[in-house]
Amino acid sequence: MSARISAKTLRLLIVIGLIALWELLPRTGLIPELFLPSLSSTLIAGWTDAGEYGHALAVTLYEVVVSMAFACGGGILLGAIVGSLPRPRVLIMPMVSSLYAVPLVILYPVFTVWLGIGSESKIAFASIYGFLPTMLATAAGIQTIDPQLLLAARSMGATLSQRLVRVIIPAAIPTVLSGLRVGGALVIVGVVVSEMLISSAGIGYLISRYRTILDSAHVFAGVLLVLFLAIGFNAVIRWIERKAAIWQTGTRAGQANDEVASGAMQPAT
Amino acid sequence: MQPLANVTQLKPAARAGAIEVKNVGQVFKTRSQDVVALEDVSLEVKPGRFVVLVGPSGCGKSTLLMMMAGLRQQTAGTITISGAPILQPDPDRVGVVFQEASLFPWLTAEDNVEFPLALRGVPKAERRAKAQDALKLVGLDGFGKRHPHELSGGMKQRVSIARGLVQDPPVLLMDEPFAALDEQTRMTMGDELLRIWAATGKTVVFVTHSLTEAVYLADEVIVMSARPGRIVDHLQVQLPRPRTYEMLSGDAFGSLRDRIWRHIRKSA
Repeated sequence: MSARISAKTLRLLIVIGLIALWELLPRTGLIPELFLPSLSSTLIAGWTDAGEYGHALAVTLYEVVVSMAFACGGGILLGAIVGSLPRPRVLIMPMVSSLYAVPLVILYPVFTVWLGIGSESKIAFASIYGFLPTMLATAAGIQTIDPQLLLAARSMGATLSQRLVRVIIPAAIPTVLSGLRVGGALVIVGVVVSEMLISSAGIGYLISRYRTILDSAHVFAGVLLVLFLAIGFNAVIRWIERKAAIWQTGTRAGQANDEVASGAMQPAT
Repeated sequence: MQPLANVTQLKPAARAGAIEVKNVGQVFKTRSQDVVALEDVSLEVKPGRFVVLVGPSGCGKSTLLMMMAGLRQQTAGTITISGAPILQPDPDRVGVVFQEASLFPWLTAEDNVEFPLALRGVPKAERRAKAQDALKLVGLDGFGKRHPHELSGGMKQRVSIARGLVQDPPVLLMDEPFAALDEQTRMTMGDELLRIWAATGKTVVFVTHSLTEAVYLADEVIVMSARPGRIVDHLQVQLPRPRTYEMLSGDAFGSLRDRIWRHIRKSA
């Protein structure tokens, strides 16, 4: 128990230490403010232009949420089809796998030609960027379901839709969630990167614009916002995973074993 | 356990639990050739009997069991259970226990046992009561809230048997249910199964590789030959019940075991 607390305090100390270094290194002149502006000047820059950053955050958030809906919705849907039917799998999977190796950012200039430099081109790019891992994970999750479970369900008279709702979906959830984690992170990357390349709004655009005028404090204020966005996304995914774990305990055996080991769960006999 | 209201209409009550397999064949079509897995298999099981199917690997004994469960269609012949043909899985007539316990890992033991009832929309309270009865019958009273990964291999198979019995079908089909268990657990589970069988009066058809297990458990042993699967012997085990560990070393037991082994050695 004491070991666990000290690990937690240690983590906290590391974070506090990094924050302190961020403030002290530029202040003492060890690192020039142009390379790393101090935390306080970054916060002040962000605060004085809070309106501008707020607007940029709203634009970026909107793009992230819409892209995530496309990437995750489409990824899960197509992944389910590809995972459960052999014929589409043979047709689509080789293409998807090779597409996965292509740096998709080369498509972004094309999207700006088709869709303009507004939110639409970012959403198109980030959706495709996040779609692939979600789809691949969903397909893998469905393909790896134990066929014995489906046979057992059938022997108990389960119809096709009952097998889908009561066996296939709960069995696939952990793999799909891990795909969403990767896919969602890539959506954030896709939105911010495309904003930095060609755009007129969003946090990526602000970072890129302030960089061209060498205003490091404002650049880092934008970086900080992206950081919080990613941490927020991670928290949401963790919350979903916890919710699913309650419904899904069996395949997340690691957690339950921790409980057993720490004595929280004693055998009944 | 109360019989369910919407049971398939059976003809005479005396036929409940009777199994009739008539001239059944199974041909698997592969790209290059047709493989005859079963050829002209006929057998009759009277209600309440404990029948064991043995034979070398690939003799089609599991295939035959899957056809009795309605999970696979034969290419020739008919199978009737409780007097009506079995064309698809019918949990009212047949419960199935698989080699792997096949429990849903995200459900607790009692939710697993309730699963077949939940599929048919049985109300929660009734479901829970039946699951408790079934768990008590298999000796798992008080373990209902555990998840499968918190249970031993033998306990998982007990849950699986409870799930097969929860709808009170007259027939229980078991496909090598104890094959994955260690020797000691396997012996205990055999005794447990005989106790449950005696308490419920089900017709049991049990597939196994183990000759000792076959003779120890069975009223009748059906011996099958390697591909194409045919019935080569159908022997009655006259040993008294309850069966005891001491019988394993007796002459009667040994000669039955030898007789089965000679068939299998010949065809393998």
